[in-house]
Amino acid sequence: MASAELQLGFDVGGTHLDAVVMDRRGRLLAKAKLGVTGRLRDDLGAAVRAVGANGSIGPDEIARVMLCTHRRGALPAEQGLKRVGVLRIGSPLTHALPPLSAWPDELRSRVSAGEAVVRGGAEYDGRPAAALDEDDIVRFLGEVAADAESIAITSVFSPVAPEQELAAAELVRRELGPTMHVSLSHEIGSVGLLERENATVLNGALVGVVEGLAAALDDALEAEGVHAETFVTQNDGTLMLLQHARRFPVLTIGSGPASGMRGAAFLSGVEDGLVVDVGGSHTDVGVLVSGFPRETADRARIAGVRVALWMPDVRTLSFGGGSPLAEEAALARAHEALADRVDRAKAELQSPPLVAVGGADVLVPDDLPGVSEVIRPPDREVASAIGAAMAPVSAHAECICSSRPDRRLAALDDVRASACAQAVHAGADPAAVSVVQVQEVPLNYLAEPAIRIRAKAAGPAG
Amino acid sequence: MPERLDASNLPALARGCALLGAGGGGDTELALLMALRAVEESGTVPLVPLGELPDDGLVMPCGSIGSPAVATERLWSGDEGLVLRHTVEAIRAERVCALMCFQAGGANGLLPVTWASRLGLPLVDADGMGRAFPKLQQAAMHLAGIAAGPLVLTDGRANTLVLRPADGDWAERLARGAARTLGGVCAGALYLMTVKEARAAVIEGSISHAVGLGEALGAPGQAEQRSTFGDVLGGEMLMLGKVVEVQRRADDGFVRGSATVAGTAEYEGRELRLELQNEFLLAIEDGVVRAAVPDVISVLASDTGDPVSTEQLAYGERVAVLALPAPEVWWSEPGLSVSGPRAFGYDLEPSEIRLEGSRGVR
Repeated sequence: MASAELQLGFDVGGTHLDAVVMDRRGRLLAKAKLGVTGRLRDDLGAAVRAVGANGSIGPDEIARVMLCTHRRGALPAEQGLKRVGVLRIGSPLTHALPPLSAWPDELRSRVSAGEAVVRGGAEYDGRPAAALDEDDIVRFLGEVAADAESIAITSVFSPVAPEQELAAAELVRRELGPTMHVSLSHEIGSVGLLERENATVLNGALVGVVEGLAAALDDALEAEGVHAETFVTQNDGTLMLLQHARRFPVLTIGSGPASGMRGAAFLSGVEDGLVVDVGGSHTDVGVLVSGFPRETADRARIAGVRVALWMPDVRTLSFGGGSPLAEEAALARAHEALADRVDRAKAELQSPPLVAVGGADVLVPDDLPGVSEVIRPPDREVASAIGAAMAPVSAHAECICSSRPDRRLAALDDVRASACAQAVHAGADPAAVSVVQVQEVPLNYLAEPAIRIRAKAAGPAG
Repeated sequence: MPERLDASNLPALARGCALLGAGGGGDTELALLMALRAVEESGTVPLVPLGELPDDGLVMPCGSIGSPAVATERLWSGDEGLVLRHTVEAIRAERVCALMCFQAGGANGLLPVTWASRLGLPLVDADGMGRAFPKLQQAAMHLAGIAAGPLVLTDGRANTLVLRPADGDWAERLARGAARTLGGVCAGALYLMTVKEARAAVIEGSISHAVGLGEALGAPGQAEQRSTFGDVLGGEMLMLGKVVEVQRRADDGFVRGSATVAGTAEYEGRELRLELQNEFLLAIEDGVVRAAVPDVISVLASDTGDPVSTEQLAYGERVAVLALPAPEVWWSEPGLSVSGPRAFGYDLEPSEIRLEGSRGVR
């Protein structure tokens, strides 16, 4: 049996499924683009057979499988959303805005199995604000036990002090059994209670989506004789173990555009520049900074709900390779819209290169203003699958600390170490993991200034 | 002016307050959600001019003190106004007749609406700043000789403090220290006064002015007339362009920094530098000060018209930079000494930098 060294990357889109096989040095050994039938398991199986069709790649040579998905717009309706018991820890504070404030009524009634705000929470410096009311939690779990398929737990300042969320999770295991899915907000979002809670509840609601994906992938790989470790891409284009992702579906819901951008960086060698990814019906415009998609947490919304998730700062245009652009005027309008988007995205970059990828990059003209050159790398039609196959594994950690220099330096060390540990937990090679990004944001209007530190660590899949 | 604050005009108030925040004062989106919820559950809030209240009625200026970022995590209980009112009434041995925003800029233009609704009290159409300022003594009441204390603080839990500071500077020092101990942010009532005292001590019309600004900006995402922002809002458009540089640092409790906006379209080739300390304080072009505190310098995202805070301001953003005239009181001699450029450490001659068309108390 050949030693398993190869990586198989999938991009599951609305109209096409792309697959690539790459070796660890990044050479592309096989690629395939198939139309989708709507039966994911069958489509994945067909793709595995397609990339191995010439007999040169055996299923036992595949060591790792990486998958990204391109979903558009609102939440997936077809697979159905899980019912979530929503537990907030923070009383007597936070009652002015109860859980799920500002959710659309229809989504709220589909998702919520019940909501409670119980006593507890932490201060911004991590000290406990109030003791956890365990009796109240047990009472709430009893109320939602019959209806809830998932429990979402959000505690005040848990990104700084997660202890009470962990204690509440233990109560869920005790009361509702070890199989009940639990989403903990400190593992999902950052400071900003309502938006983090929203993301955590959506995570609980989306559990079935990743379960469905995981089951289809496991079945397909099993049937084709591939025995590999499986990963999915996160919203920032990096990987996490599929096993790990079953607990964090909301972190993978917007992964497609980031994978396309990572693939564009890999294929072109461009670390800082623009990427235009033209799909069948949409075109994504994003910015690469040091090989990663530029992220934003300000404007992120899912199904109209404001969420505290770091998403790639991608602007989407509603035309693609399948749009009726035969008419000269329609094409001109599309080019104009694209030029405007590109100009807005490039901002601080002086005349950056632009990498055009996706199945229909012909829609990107060569003479976009403000761009040094338009690069069209080979194999660009499967850039997202390549981006997934070659992505590192990553994770975040954050804290709030005093701006006193000694405290700040100690906190920086802690956060960096914590981010690395999280990345290893998510599947990164412990020997090769490193901190790739550190952000520090001072907090306004405090007597002794405090700084919020956030670190991201990444390493190759190990 | 609207007679009541309700779901029909609160979104405009929020946008107006964000504009008057001059980049500071905290996020108005959560404060708006809270106010909308309060008026739905507890009733709309009468907005009353001082002239309609009895001379001897007690006015309670109030709002949050401390870090707005912390307030987005340890959300308010909603009962802070009740605690403030009870404590104030016990101290003064009289009933509060109306609440007032001590600051109409940022989240503090909305938080008292939530409390007024819960308490069934009216809100005075006035405030103490006409914009956001970082310090408590930067208030028209301070200039008029109203004492900041007794100053009541509560953390929304069971902790309540009554401070009796020696003067306005001590009020700021004690309150900011207490806010830190109470969890980074707290609710406060200060500058308690009778309606008669208030008539000579506050900036009247601030709340309806903020509603008007918000209406002029249009609903979120609808402000397409970006080059007419200045005309519509009664201010001056300083620059349309993109942010090409942002620097920030934290020292002695306040975030300081600068940003550069490079002009686009009809502003192509020009560059505007913004100095910031929580709020935008100076706008300088070619070494010439185009606008300065106390006038309001605001940055709007040019595609949506949404006000952008000093914390959010980021590389690459397309923005419009506006200056709006400050209330007249800030251009008085005592006003400038408390809130003029020199109070923020800029050695500028105020007479040369004033916008035309100030409004407010004369």
